[in-house]
Amino acid sequence: MTTKLNLLLCASAVALLCGCATKTAYVDPNSSNLITTTEGINIQDFSQAADAMTASLIDNLINPGMLKSAEPGEPALMAISRIQNNTGQQLDTDMLVKKMRVALLRTGKIQTSTTIAYGGAEDPLAAEQQKAQEFFEDKKHSRLPDYTLSGKIIEDRTSAGRTKQTSYIFQLSLSSRAGIGVWEDERTIVKQGKRASVGF
Amino acid sequence: MNITLRTLSLIALCAAAVVAVTGCKSTSVNTVGNAEKSGQTQMITDERVLTDQTLNNIVRIVGVNTAKGAEGFLKVQVQVQNLKRSARSFTYRVEWFDENGMIIDLPTGVARPRTIEGQELMVITATAPTPRAKDFRMKFLEPTTK
Repeated sequence: MTTKLNLLLCASAVALLCGCATKTAYVDPNSSNLITTTEGINIQDFSQAADAMTASLIDNLINPGMLKSAEPGEPALMAISRIQNNTGQQLDTDMLVKKMRVALLRTGKIQTSTTIAYGGAEDPLAAEQQKAQEFFEDKKHSRLPDYTLSGKIIEDRTSAGRTKQTSYIFQLSLSSRAGIGVWEDERTIVKQGKRASVGF
Repeated sequence: MNITLRTLSLIALCAAAVVAVTGCKSTSVNTVGNAEKSGQTQMITDERVLTDQTLNNIVRIVGVNTAKGAEGFLKVQVQVQNLKRSARSFTYRVEWFDENGMIIDLPTGVARPRTIEGQELMVITATAPTPRAKDFRMKFLEPTTK
């Protein structure tokens, strides 16, 4: 009887341990089941900001037909200027900018220069190739950008009791060749909580 | 001593009731706008698939209207209303389809969180990511915080 009881106890313990095993699974990056923290910017925050900014750019500049290209019949050319990270954490601003670039390219109205950018060419080989082509053909091939995109990411933290609130402010401006801001927008993402959670 | 205890119990019950009422206080919205509208809203016939009745009471779809800009990007406006008396959260996601009914994949097509006050009438807008987008589907979900 005692042996049976011991076996039963062992089996229960094993079942309990297996049941409590941590599971790791793939999650759709566009779903609402992602980890949300007040400690930093999560990937869904970048996606939301990029989505809102792209929609605003389409609504206010592209869809009304106000986007101008120096090359008739060609999409406008945009270069990426400085995107300042004014948050307390180290982050890659391409998590915001790249998503916007992809979405804007798919509109068929804007292309991004990979040879002209703040801080140097994004694609050094393309820049070299462009220079070589200009040298051999003795003809200018580089096209000046019609617009430049600049911006800032700002962080604000506050708390009341055990509840923490973190706000991330995304500011972007699109400037014309004349240095005039033709489109500007600001999006704020506010997160409140006591601890990290999964989902919105 | 007995009377004191009863009084104390009554006070405690009253306090609990006050806390309960305050905790469940409604946050419904009062609104005002011009009665004679200048804008023409072109409502469209929509197709709805309702699988969550609770969510349908939080985000009841009132109507859908669309418009196109000079460059041909489709703009969608969905009016929703919270039938509950307190603020609720939900998420929504928009999918776009081209002229062949194929989904347009985008890196920015994420679920977006929103909060709607009690009885509030809210407008959700979405702009097509490309002029190729001809149709759309807006999905509503309850928050899934664990």
